[in-house]
Amino acid sequence: MTATRSGEWVLLSYRLPREPSTPRIAVWRKLRRLGVAQISDGLVALPADPRTREQLEWVAEEVTDGGGSAAIWLARPSTRAQEDQLAKAMAAARAAEYQTVIAAAAEAAGGDPAVRASAVRRLRKELRAVQRRDYFPSAERDQAQTAVQALAAPGEDDMRATRPGRAGRPARPVARQARQEPA
Amino acid sequence: MKWATRAGIHIDRATCAWLIRRHIDERAEFIFVTDPADIPAGTTAFDIPGAELSHHGGDCSFETILRRYDLTDPVLWRIAAIVHEADLEDQRYDAPEAPGLDLVLRGLSITRGDDDILTITGPVFDGIYEYCKRAILLGREPA
Repeated sequence: MTATRSGEWVLLSYRLPREPSTPRIAVWRKLRRLGVAQISDGLVALPADPRTREQLEWVAEEVTDGGGSAAIWLARPSTRAQEDQLAKAMAAARAAEYQTVIAAAAEAAGGDPAVRASAVRRLRKELRAVQRRDYFPSAERDQAQTAVQALAAPGEDDMRATRPGRAGRPARPVARQARQEPA
Repeated sequence: MKWATRAGIHIDRATCAWLIRRHIDERAEFIFVTDPADIPAGTTAFDIPGAELSHHGGDCSFETILRRYDLTDPVLWRIAAIVHEADLEDQRYDAPEAPGLDLVLRGLSITRGDDDILTITGPVFDGIYEYCKRAILLGREPA
């Protein structure tokens, strides 16, 4: 979890009028897509890099365009513990999203080839979106990747589909979980 | 005419610069700044917070420039869809090319400076324009 941590964070503080709700919802959706850490009401954070900074600056513009006020800050948490807390909360949020992908892959594994092929397309897209907002990769990241790949890999999956007893059970992700317990 | 934008260019700024040079101002000169306050007087700013020619109403800067300059060429709007998805990834358009083009620009942003990136990507976007134009005229993917 420490490899990608720079210590510097980009913060967006913002206020938007309650009504109309359209800009509020648009901003909320954007922040969710970016995977921000919610520090408090109207204050969100991302590990600072040129991309995250630029993305939050555009959200700030959108807040201003929507009749609100917003500011962008570069900041460092004053203690390591505080930073760990932020990073852990973000990693946990992504881990839950990866678990959803893993569960969907397991469910589709029992389906016929057409169902599985369409699940692979959908889950790969979903997985890419989650990976884009994953700043502190966890074991679930690999597990989700493996689960979707297992759904796509023809040999192994065809065998599984023809054997009734094993249909729907994602063998590999479970095995990996045992080896790679999150720290 | 002088144009200013944020330093560290990616897909939106690179395509905007190409669009400006090919369709708005053949002799455009570009200046790259890190703070909007450093934009020199008499230059037109784009894709930087506070500029008119930037993200507005869910549009990326490329789309904003097309609207402001009344550029209705359907080929440019097809490119706008790709730029929008590469930059904002909000699924407004179906543009499967976007992640690939985004990767090319991200890679260049690591190895090259802003002026170099404009020099390199100019012919790339010319090619993409020609491809999209033929696709629209033919009604199918050109060879």
